[in-house]
Amino acid sequence: MSAPSAVERLVDTLRTRQVIAADAPAPDEAEHRPWFVAMMLGIAGWLAGILLLVFIETNFRVNTRTAIGMVGLALLVAAWAMYYADRKAVFLDQFALALSIAGQCALAWALLDDVDSGFRIASTLLVIQLVVLVLMPNRTARTLAALFGVIAWVYTVRFAVLSGRPDDIIFDNMMNTVRYGAGAISLAWMISWAPLLLLTTWLIRRESDWMARNLRVFARPLLAGALLGLAAGGIIAEPFLVPAFGGQVGLWISWQTIFPLLSIGLALYAAWCAFQLRSAGLTGFAIVAALFHLGRFYYLYGTSLTWKSVIMFCVGAAMLGAGMLLRRSQAPGGVA
Amino acid sequence: MQPEPSRAELDQIAGHYGLDSAGVEVLLEVADARPGPGARRQFLAHLLRIGGVLSLAAGVVFFVAANWSEIAVFGRFGLLELLLLACGVLALFRPPPAFAGRAAMFLAFITTGALLALFGQTYQTGADVHELFLGWALLGLPLAVLANWSVSSAAWLLVLNLALALFCGWHPTGGLLWAMLGWHRFEPATVIIGVALINAALWFLFEYLKLEAVPGWVRRIVISCAFAFGTWAGILGIVDRDASPLVTLVLLVMMGVVALYSHRTRKDIYSLAVVLGAFIIVSLAWMGDVMESWNAGMPLVMALWLIVSSTGAGLLLAGTARSWREEATT
Repeated sequence: MSAPSAVERLVDTLRTRQVIAADAPAPDEAEHRPWFVAMMLGIAGWLAGILLLVFIETNFRVNTRTAIGMVGLALLVAAWAMYYADRKAVFLDQFALALSIAGQCALAWALLDDVDSGFRIASTLLVIQLVVLVLMPNRTARTLAALFGVIAWVYTVRFAVLSGRPDDIIFDNMMNTVRYGAGAISLAWMISWAPLLLLTTWLIRRESDWMARNLRVFARPLLAGALLGLAAGGIIAEPFLVPAFGGQVGLWISWQTIFPLLSIGLALYAAWCAFQLRSAGLTGFAIVAALFHLGRFYYLYGTSLTWKSVIMFCVGAAMLGAGMLLRRSQAPGGVA
Repeated sequence: MQPEPSRAELDQIAGHYGLDSAGVEVLLEVADARPGPGARRQFLAHLLRIGGVLSLAAGVVFFVAANWSEIAVFGRFGLLELLLLACGVLALFRPPPAFAGRAAMFLAFITTGALLALFGQTYQTGADVHELFLGWALLGLPLAVLANWSVSSAAWLLVLNLALALFCGWHPTGGLLWAMLGWHRFEPATVIIGVALINAALWFLFEYLKLEAVPGWVRRIVISCAFAFGTWAGILGIVDRDASPLVTLVLLVMMGVVALYSHRTRKDIYSLAVVLGAFIIVSLAWMGDVMESWNAGMPLVMALWLIVSSTGAGLLLAGTARSWREEATT
């Protein structure tokens, strides 16, 4: 006879503590999927979706916006049906994820083909992701929708407050440096990130409440996607491709140097939240994102490296001091 | 850090038994799914101290990179050497594993790199960037060893792999290293698979030695680097007509040996996941190569292959993870 599994032991303890009835049947075996396996499946599904869309576009001569939109909707409905029909079949899950990604891309293409407003593009993508988050009955699809939704949200706020053309999404290095004043940039940052900070804090504090309701099927992926977005969102919120294409980097001396440091703060907060969920994968991702923001701090933004080094020395000393004090307070005989 | 059972399993239990908030609180407590106040404070202290040391190290690098023209050559070198000396003295008085000693050795390792960069910048030695990083990795190795700290080990491995990636990526046809390899006799794919083998050998060494300074997460970095280079070489081996067929063979052997070892030791499923990930990418490249020229059905075949192979890999890994976890509890 084999030893009881971790879930069986846990259920036994719940019976002993009379949280559940003594004769309550054991739950079905849930699939245990480590974070890197989920990541591999997500990336593969996403890439397969893009390839499917290329196949459809090149083979079926879908030229009009209406036709592309119909194909997108059909793919999304097919994905939903596959997820719904058999929620245990991993092959169908993966195929449905690819269909869903292809459907979302096709729908976005149909809706945004001629649009010349950064705000309209970002807000439409945000709506598509929210609809997928609510309707698609699959955790991986919902987590990806939450992550892409956070990215779309950041751009929506940025274009709502600062305005801009679609090209600004990637290339315009003027966007946050000289065109707008301190007030608009700070406001955009606050509106982008404050709701996400509140959302993740609230979801973690109220975890037992939403776990006790059907809300858990939305809240769990939303929390994971929001934490991923908090950690890495700053990377896409700024024109990160500028250095790669030889744009003007490090020329403007300005107070905006602080933004990558704020992104490091967001990433560390995401790591802190992930630790409370005991998620090694999310914690590691957030720490890697923080290191990436440090690289952005070095390459982007215009203040002198000497000033940047002074900032890093001050931040380092403050963090080290705070860490030492906290550590000392934990030591036997230390301040409680 | 990952509790058993996972969050997904806890969600399922909560849903299956229709637990209310109080019941879920008990469930989370029994499953040890939430760190207590002590653990949270410990994590925060850890995060702040390591973050502080990394920030100081970044400050040193930024300071050197500032192209510090106002200070004379003697002053530039003197300041960095003084910092190096101060780190050494601190580590002597508070030797590792004390945090101060570890942090001092880590800063000394970073300062070594800054010193080499400053030397190259000041005297325009003509050294390639990969030579700078390789010199840093070699000269900094004793410091990383003395630090006896996972953060230092990870930093050393990243510097080494950055040097190797720059060497492979730039494909220089000059310089001391390339001359030693006899560049006219080696194809890029051969050199890259060699770098993959170096990382794989390091991974086996660390697995065997079980060093405190090289915990599981650092070993995961090593095996990821091994198969990142292996995948790169594998793709080159397929698409580059001049590449030796041995490259693909060596990669397959490397995959087999790592998979067998992982299966035998039954410790960490991650290495198996990396092997399967590399296999999926290389096989996708092979499929594209077999079809030779672009044809209408190619994206569909590739998409289906991605779905089938990733599904198979996901099932295999999830099943293996479950069985290893159950075995570990017996």
